[in-house]
Amino acid sequence: MKTKALTIAAVAAVAITGPAFADKLDDIIGSGKLRCAVVLDFPPMGSRDASNNPQGFDVDYCNDLAKALGVEAEIVETTFPERIPALVSGQVDVGVASTSDTLERAKTVGFTIPYYAFENAVTANDKVEMATWEDLKGKTVGATAGTYEAIWLEGKVKEWGEGEFRPYQNQADVFLALSQGQLDATVSTVEVAEANVASGNFPGIKVVDKAPMVPDYVALIALREEQGLINYMNLFINQQVRTGRYAELYKKWVGEGEPADLTIKGVYR
Amino acid sequence: MFDTALTLNDFIFLAKGAGMTIFVTVISVALGTVLGIVFGVIRYQLGPVWSAPLMFVLDIFRSIPLLIQLVLAYAFLGTVLRLGLSGLSVACMVLTLYTSAYCAEIVRGGIEAVPLTLRRAARSLGMSWGQDMRHIVMPLATRVALPSWIGLALGVMKDSALVYVVQVTELLKSTQILITRLQEPLLLLTICGAFYFLISFPVARFGGYLERRWSND
Repeated sequence: MKTKALTIAAVAAVAITGPAFADKLDDIIGSGKLRCAVVLDFPPMGSRDASNNPQGFDVDYCNDLAKALGVEAEIVETTFPERIPALVSGQVDVGVASTSDTLERAKTVGFTIPYYAFENAVTANDKVEMATWEDLKGKTVGATAGTYEAIWLEGKVKEWGEGEFRPYQNQADVFLALSQGQLDATVSTVEVAEANVASGNFPGIKVVDKAPMVPDYVALIALREEQGLINYMNLFINQQVRTGRYAELYKKWVGEGEPADLTIKGVYR
Repeated sequence: MFDTALTLNDFIFLAKGAGMTIFVTVISVALGTVLGIVFGVIRYQLGPVWSAPLMFVLDIFRSIPLLIQLVLAYAFLGTVLRLGLSGLSVACMVLTLYTSAYCAEIVRGGIEAVPLTLRRAARSLGMSWGQDMRHIVMPLATRVALPSWIGLALGVMKDSALVYVVQVTELLKSTQILITRLQEPLLLLTICGAFYFLISFPVARFGGYLERRWSND
C-alpha cells in the first residue's frame, strides 16, 4: 500500500514536471554530487558494516561512478519496490540497485548495459567426485522447492533419467543436507553458494562449477529520457570490465573465481 | 541477560537517530506554533467567510496524509523548482506547515474560549486591541489551549517518523537499519519504543505541571 502511494505520488509529481530543462549528466557534475539508490538489505551487493555504514558491491560501484564523474557519492538507501519511485520522483540520480533489466521496467526507466549478472553455481560435497556441472548426472541432488534452480535441476534429472531430485523447504536445509552427505550436490546462486561456503556453518562442501542457466542480468537505471547519462554509464561499465575493476569487486564481495560474462553470444549489446 | 549482537556503537547510532527526531520535532513545533498563532488569530479576526481561503489551504495540510505531503513536496521542490534543498529542510518545512494547520485551530478555540464580555470590558476600560490580546486573551487562551497543544507536540514527534521518505535518518529509520543488519526486531523495537517514551514522557509531565500550576492562580 505504501509502495503504491509512493508510486502514485511519484507519477503525479512527474506529470506536473514536464520535460527536463537541462541534461542530468550536467546537473550531476554541476551539483558535485551523485545520488545513488542502493538496496542495503541484499548482501553481498548492499548491506551495512558494524558501524552501520553502507558497504557492498553496489556501494563500491556507485563510489567508482562518482569518482569517474569527479563528484561525491551519496548512497540513498531504498528497498526493492522503492527503487524506481525514488528515481522517478527525483530523490536519486541513478539506481545502482541490482535491477534486472526486464522489458516491462524499461517502459518506465532507462537501462544501461548489464553491469553484473547473477549466475548459478553447482556446490558439491567434498567426498563426491565432480569436476564439471555435467557430473551432476546420476547423483542425488536437491534444492529449495519452487525456485528457478530447483525447477531446472528437477528437469535435468528427468531428462537424464538417472539420479534423484529432492526438494527442501529452505536454503539452509539444502546446505545442511549437503554438508551431512545426504545430498551429493545442489545448485544455487553463486552469491549464496560462496556465502555458505565462507560462513563455515556447512563444513565439507565446495563450489564445483557454474550451472549453464541463463543468468539474471542486472543493469544501472536512470530516467528514461536521460540518454546522455545512460550513454556515459554504458561506457563506464565497459571501462570497469576493461580495467579489471569488475573482477576486483567480484573477488572482494562475492568470492574467488571468474565473474559472470556480461556479453550474450550471437546478439549485439 | 540477553544474547544480542547489539553493540555500544549501535546504541550511539540509535541515540543519533533520536537526536534527529528531537531536532526535527523542536524546529517544526516551534515554527509551526508561531505560524499557527498567526493563522489562528487571522482566522478569528477575519471570521469564517474572509478566512475561508486560508482555512482551505490549512485543511489541505490536515487532510492529506503526511507521507504523501512529504514525497510530493520533495519531488516538487527538487525536480520542478530545482531548489536542491536537503531532505531535512523539506521535512522541517512540511512538518512546520502540518503543525501550524493543527495549531491554528487550537489557537482559534483558545481565543473563542475567552468570554466576549470580558474582552468588551477590557476595551471599555480603554485598552487597545493589542493590549486586549496581550493582557486579557493570551493568558486565558493559553490555559485552555495548553493540553491540546501538548497533545499536538507529542503527535508531531511521533509523526516525524515518516520523514524517512525524504532520506532523514531519524529514530525509527535507525531502528529499521539495525533490524535489517542484526535481525533482532523485538529487542530493537522495544529499545526504540523506550527512546520515544523517554522523549515524550518529560514533555507530557511538564505540560501536566504547567496545567496544575496555572489553574491555581
